[in-house]
Amino acid sequence: MRKLIIDTDPGVDDAMMILAALRAPELDVIGLTTVFGNCPVEIGTQNALRLLELEGHGDIPVSKGCGKALVVPLGEFPANVHGDDGLGNASFEAPKGKPLARHAAQFIIDTCKAFPGEVTLAPIGPLSNIGLALQLCPELPKYVREVVIMGGSCYAGGNISPVAEANIYHDPHAADMVFRADWPVVMVGLDVTQQIVMDNSFLNKLYAAQTPATDFLKRIQPLYQAFHANIYGFTAGEIHTHDPSVTAYLVKPDLFGTLETPVHVETNGRCMGFTIADPLKQWGERRAAKVCTRVNAEGVKNLLYDLLAR
Amino acid sequence: MRKFWIDTDTASDDAVAILMALQAPDVEVLGISVVAGNVPVDMGCQNAGYTVEVCEKNVPVYRGTALPLSREPSYAYFFHGPDGMGGMNYPATKTPIQTGGVEAMVNAIRKNPGEITLVTLGPLTNIANALALAPDIAKKVKICYLMAGAACTVGNVTPAAEYNVWFDPEAAYAVYHSGMKMVQVGWELCRGEANISDSEQADLRAIGTRRAEFAIDCNRQAVATNKKWLGDPSLPLPDPVTMAIALDPGIARRQGDYYVDIAYGQANTDGMTIVDERNVLQKPKTVTVVWEIDVPAWKRMLRESLL
Repeated sequence: MRKLIIDTDPGVDDAMMILAALRAPELDVIGLTTVFGNCPVEIGTQNALRLLELEGHGDIPVSKGCGKALVVPLGEFPANVHGDDGLGNASFEAPKGKPLARHAAQFIIDTCKAFPGEVTLAPIGPLSNIGLALQLCPELPKYVREVVIMGGSCYAGGNISPVAEANIYHDPHAADMVFRADWPVVMVGLDVTQQIVMDNSFLNKLYAAQTPATDFLKRIQPLYQAFHANIYGFTAGEIHTHDPSVTAYLVKPDLFGTLETPVHVETNGRCMGFTIADPLKQWGERRAAKVCTRVNAEGVKNLLYDLLAR
Repeated sequence: MRKFWIDTDTASDDAVAILMALQAPDVEVLGISVVAGNVPVDMGCQNAGYTVEVCEKNVPVYRGTALPLSREPSYAYFFHGPDGMGGMNYPATKTPIQTGGVEAMVNAIRKNPGEITLVTLGPLTNIANALALAPDIAKKVKICYLMAGAACTVGNVTPAAEYNVWFDPEAAYAVYHSGMKMVQVGWELCRGEANISDSEQADLRAIGTRRAEFAIDCNRQAVATNKKWLGDPSLPLPDPVTMAIALDPGIARRQGDYYVDIAYGQANTDGMTIVDERNVLQKPKTVTVVWEIDVPAWKRMLRESLL
């Protein structure tokens, strides 16, 4: 089993990612760390606790992290995408548990040091906690097995600007720290996540399973679907499969094709948050990341169905 | 006793500033956190530790952040010498160097809410990381004196920028926008008459204490470089001027509150401190900028710390 810390801003698509990961026998989720992004970090932390408690995982620790980016000021939260509560305005009761007193960055450092070479980090929100952990502990990379990010877009255009994907855009400095560090990074970005489309027929089949996970998703996803319909003109309830694709990659990496390339992040101006692939290393040496560029979309959906519906 | 925390990239002028705080009779220095800047962080720890030793004090020195947020470090050996201390090659310090500088600073501020005067003598990376780790400290620091920037004047590493801000402008941006109560002491305040002249240096060294000899000797390369490179009269001591104002705010003779922004990612103005002197942006005033100091008072305070 692969030890996993999910760094998350839950978040509608974060919820599906986390619920699927908790159900995957290949994955051992040993902590959730929270960050601002889809909603304020205080709300996201409540959501993280709620998601763990849904199917009896209240023993897994939650650690609250950064409420803003390391450098850029806090912008508005995307309530039109994820709701004011981060979960599609579905009005859940308060969770029972509480987060740890330790900051997420410190939790990540301590946990990775406790299991050298074993822990995989799965950041599916802005990368502030990971960047801060690298600042506080520059030797962190040598303790970490792999970093599998949902974020970025090298060749597919952006979703928060013409060039930028939202997670990277919200803390471009932290993102660049992660791509600059000497550790194995996998980027699961819009290049693949926008190719994996879940429509009403898929989602209704999923909801028909009536597991606690699918019942939860059924409550939170309508607003997310409405957003996709508004912005992309979808007519059959389609949504892109962003964060859950990370769970799919962790369980079955051969569903994805990757390009080995250094990645740089633009930190300024109107191209802020653009993840720039440099396969020819024209901008100098930097450890190559594996950028997902191809995907077996049906395979990913089938895998997520199997995880969530059983 | 007033409580101070010093954050420093300890090279020669930092050493003198630390010395002044350690000698101030009514000040307790709770800790010194070191950051990369003039010299690499480990060299800065050695220099800070040695300074504490010269003062025969027992103050903890913590290793802080080793790299700027978004850039490669660009050290200032040319100004401070290959050891940061004028090539004096002082012996390895016996002061124990502890890790976790950012965390130690956060803990000290949280334990003493509203009481700590924070004095920053280097790039603002440690402070930015502390604010990311613990945003609440912005309102728990009593006041922060920054040796940073060049207020509406020329820079010293580029035409626009002063070294500490230029070394990590992203960190400076985060700190300047944090809402902490801040006083900016720019490098221009140690120039000209505020320089310690050659004859003043001789007088100070002649005091004959170990501290006096140390303060002058470790700055010998800074004197030479300052004359040749910047065309100033003699020894510039930006960090000690900042510490003098932190110790006695009356040394700031003229100051005002402004919205101050930091340029980053702008190539030729990277690290510039943009003071909205005329309030044309109509933004809340965030930083107190010192325009003029009482030069004789500053020099008296320096002398007293060396007696």
